[in-house]
Amino acid sequence: MIDAALAAVGGAAGAFSRFAHLGSGTSLPGRLVNRIDPGFLARRAASLDQGAVIVSGTNGKTTTASMLRSILQAQGLAVAANTSGANLPGGVVSAFLGARQGADVGVLEVDEGVLPSVVAEVLPRLLVLTNVFRDQLDRFPEPEGVAARLRIAAERLPADSILVANADDPLLWASLEDLGPVGFSVLAPPDGGATPRGRGGAGAPAIAADAEPESCLRCGTGLVFTRRTMAGLGSAHCEGCGWTSTIGRYVARLVSRAGLEASVLELCEELLTLPLGGIHNAYNAVAAVAVAAELGIAPHRATSALEMFHPRFGRAEELLFDDRQLWLALIKNPAGAGTVIRDVCTDRRVGAVVVAISDNDADGRDVSWIWDADFERLVQLEAPIVAGGTRAAETAVRLKYAGRIPDVVETDPLAAVRAAIISCPPDGVIAILATYTAMLDVREALVGDRSTRVEDDIA
Amino acid sequence: MGADLVIVHLYPDLLRTYGDRGNVLALQRRAEWRGFRVDVVAVSRGERVPRGAGVVLLGGGTDRVQEALGPDLRDRGPELAEAVGEGTVVLGVCGGYQFLGNLYVSADGVSTEGLGLIEAETRAGKGRLVGRVGATAELWGNRFDLVGFENHGGRTTLGPGARPLARVRMGGGNNGLDGSEGAVRGSVVGTYLHGPVFPLNPQFADGILKRALSPVTGGDDLQSLDDGPEERAHEHARTLHR
Repeated sequence: MIDAALAAVGGAAGAFSRFAHLGSGTSLPGRLVNRIDPGFLARRAASLDQGAVIVSGTNGKTTTASMLRSILQAQGLAVAANTSGANLPGGVVSAFLGARQGADVGVLEVDEGVLPSVVAEVLPRLLVLTNVFRDQLDRFPEPEGVAARLRIAAERLPADSILVANADDPLLWASLEDLGPVGFSVLAPPDGGATPRGRGGAGAPAIAADAEPESCLRCGTGLVFTRRTMAGLGSAHCEGCGWTSTIGRYVARLVSRAGLEASVLELCEELLTLPLGGIHNAYNAVAAVAVAAELGIAPHRATSALEMFHPRFGRAEELLFDDRQLWLALIKNPAGAGTVIRDVCTDRRVGAVVVAISDNDADGRDVSWIWDADFERLVQLEAPIVAGGTRAAETAVRLKYAGRIPDVVETDPLAAVRAAIISCPPDGVIAILATYTAMLDVREALVGDRSTRVEDDIA
Repeated sequence: MGADLVIVHLYPDLLRTYGDRGNVLALQRRAEWRGFRVDVVAVSRGERVPRGAGVVLLGGGTDRVQEALGPDLRDRGPELAEAVGEGTVVLGVCGGYQFLGNLYVSADGVSTEGLGLIEAETRAGKGRLVGRVGATAELWGNRFDLVGFENHGGRTTLGPGARPLARVRMGGGNNGLDGSEGAVRGSVVGTYLHGPVFPLNPQFADGILKRALSPVTGGDDLQSLDDGPEERAHEHARTLHR
């Protein structure tokens, strides 16, 4: 009874937040409920028959959680989930607002910073960690510090809980391998990766733009990569102390990629056409399938659910606006931006690009990272480019030094998208690469709603 | 060979947490746009800094990486001092700036010797100084406005042999107390500002370039560039709050 009343209070507050344009409307009600009843989250999590899964890490949280939800729902389970990337404590609580009491299982996406305390409250049946990249440096100055927080969270798991982690991430894996995690990996044919650079001369600086600083967690010696899928992920060993990474128990092999639209994966011996491009989505898919398998769902059941997968929020999403096809992707750090840029550059339909960089708290206020993202590759596209977001002016400077002054610089999201539409050939797709709040702003301008309407899908 | 300017990026594989690559790119492009031939050379552990480098850039890294780099970097003391003696410009940003000083004292009281190229000491402070910075800089006789973003736990105090690069009107700067930001001693310059600092502050970049190119130009002023995008980004950054 009390929980139902709290859920109602939360729902009203969410409507108010959306109306007042405070956010996507998913965090305020949860914050309110947390204030009124700090035990709400623990109690509701404990009431789930099949327990809760928590998804955390730098990149891929939302998509991995969303894929996992699709897999679980396809098995007929009722899922309670926070589905809009609202992953601070308020947003996590929102998973249980409006959810009918009869949810079987929880899928909670949780921010790295608050993970230890949320794990201690929720006591999940399984924790899956995607990766650790440089991200929001003003909040998390050191990736090693984030890895240490993830480890603290993993140590707080109940004894019979399962830990699943990315075995291709040397920083993450080395920080928790002694806890006996179940690993996942991606194998991909080499394709050049980031824009290659010579050593000086007419080229750019002698380092791949989106490489992560890579050194052994144990001894600090630089790591040697023998296999690399993206940014700092792959197989590595340390020539200082001899540490060696491992291939995970669950492996996705990238058979072919087809730009923005799809990729073909061989996943646990199942062939899967994933309706999402990009090697990062291969990681998200293998993570989701690994979790499902550890929960007892056969891989072929999980992969057939993923064949139907549609992203619900703009990590990568297609929209129609003025009869034009738009493709939205979230970029927030060099690693993720690099894979998105690679997808955009390999898709022939792209006729114009918007790069929208904002620096609100949720984006990370220090936008230095755009100088480590591979915009050198993006400007080689022949399509016109529009710089947008609250830091449109700085984005224009970044693109200029990458080799091309953008055609339009426009902070207003609607005007930026319209400028791209005008410059785009009639049958071309407009690719929009945006940071988190820039994405919300674009969605509001185009769809008229900061909310993503995915709350309707809970339970 | 035959480059007008050699830019050395020290430890680009390890000290590159805050877009430091953008500083290299800005210097390189701004020299090339003026018709100079530029070589960018990456120098990592165990490799020597080439003689005759115009600029050596040293970025910031995580504490763990900086600790691991310590021995290699300290071995470079004589090499870098010699380069500075021959007129090489050395720029340290954030952690790289701290390395240029005499001493770093960590939160648990452990002292680490720096390169001693700037008379400065850094001690770990309580909490980090994080946020946007606005300042007025004076470098080798030129005054200009400076914008950027700082994020550091160390508090740096300058000795009498170094002068601040800038005075902050917004932000913590060297130590959050005396209003100073960065340091200059001869051709050695340190700053806490990333952004990265050169693309957003073309006057700063050109001040460094002018000095680094002086063996080729005789110290003449550099030809002006069309800095429309840079100036608009700089002006926009000036309007932002902390």
